[in-house]
Amino acid sequence: MTRVTTTWTADALAALAAEGATGALSGERGIVYLKAGRVVHVESAFAPDLGALLTRSGAVPPDGWWEAVDRGGTQHRVGHRLVDSGRLAAGALEVCHLGALFDAAYFVLAHDTRAQRFRPGAVHWLGAVRSVPVDVVVRESGRRRALLDRIWPDPAVDTLPLTRVPGTGSAALPARRSRILTQVDGVRTAAQIASALACRTYHTLVELRRLAADGLVRTAVPTAPVPPPGPEPPGVVWDDPDTALLRRLRDALEAL
Amino acid sequence: MPGIDESLLEAMRLPGARGASLVDWISGLALGAVGEAPGGDWEATAAETAELGRHVAESGSLAAGGPGGGGAEPGKEPPVEDLIATTGDAYHLLRFVSTPFDSTVFLHLWLDRNDGNLALARIRLAEMADRLVLG
Repeated sequence: MTRVTTTWTADALAALAAEGATGALSGERGIVYLKAGRVVHVESAFAPDLGALLTRSGAVPPDGWWEAVDRGGTQHRVGHRLVDSGRLAAGALEVCHLGALFDAAYFVLAHDTRAQRFRPGAVHWLGAVRSVPVDVVVRESGRRRALLDRIWPDPAVDTLPLTRVPGTGSAALPARRSRILTQVDGVRTAAQIASALACRTYHTLVELRRLAADGLVRTAVPTAPVPPPGPEPPGVVWDDPDTALLRRLRDALEAL
Repeated sequence: MPGIDESLLEAMRLPGARGASLVDWISGLALGAVGEAPGGDWEATAAETAELGRHVAESGSLAAGGPGGGGAEPGKEPPVEDLIATTGDAYHLLRFVSTPFDSTVFLHLWLDRNDGNLALARIRLAEMADRLVLG
């Protein structure tokens, strides 16, 4: 049975945690997997997953990763398989997994988006590595958002293509920030830069906001185009459709 | 092979250990914690020590090295290995952990100044940091 919900993702998670639920909660920006009311895995298209972080960094060769997926996937033991086969230390798996979990959770939870459906009993093929209480994940996502705003309060840096500010150098930057700056090319967004470098996206956002605060990086396109004069009342923005509503509408039509 | 909790529990077996945690120094998140939290709140401690660790990890002056520099492992990130803060009754030892994938973490050990042995703790924490990610 699939349960369709229309509540905020954080509220839906809190209710599922109170029930001690096991399954997958889909939101507009990703999926949260629960086991006995605790978060065991989070996926988001905005954040590289564990496989991307491990293979693109060279920590695990792609062959080794896919061997673990082939052999461990059906039993939901991919993580354990990586450790048992000696490809990854147990602590390394936990550190990388938690890094990916909180990274994806930031995109699912930091902005108020609606939960769409809950699939009870759904289990992720990676298998349990470490679990985290729902309230910790929700609180951390809010804290991360506040941290970004303290560095440089312009959320457009997180989503729009970025460009280097002409005439600025990159002398004396810390290694991570300097590496991220070299990927800013006027076309790519923060998530694409994170993917190219096999870095967690939130940690890339932190560096990009610091670069923006230092005047080295800005968004490549104007963030607020001047609306043409017309009968439209000011303040109405049409370029961000309510995808939850559209999906509910689609589901209702399909059910006819 | 030790996971995060086993590594922290091992750190707590050092003489004078009061609390140990694994902290992400960019986000300020505690990935794990055992024992007492300095100040009573692990989340607040992690956020504060992360800020301290980040400044040191990103410091151009500290990373510059001496003549003929580069150290034993040139190019290693972060270039700083550990950080020690001493108070009237305690030591705080922050040991950066190098991983072959993107992570930005350190082990934080809170050590009683009377019962603890800083030199021993420094050596052991370095070994624990290696075992955590290399097995």
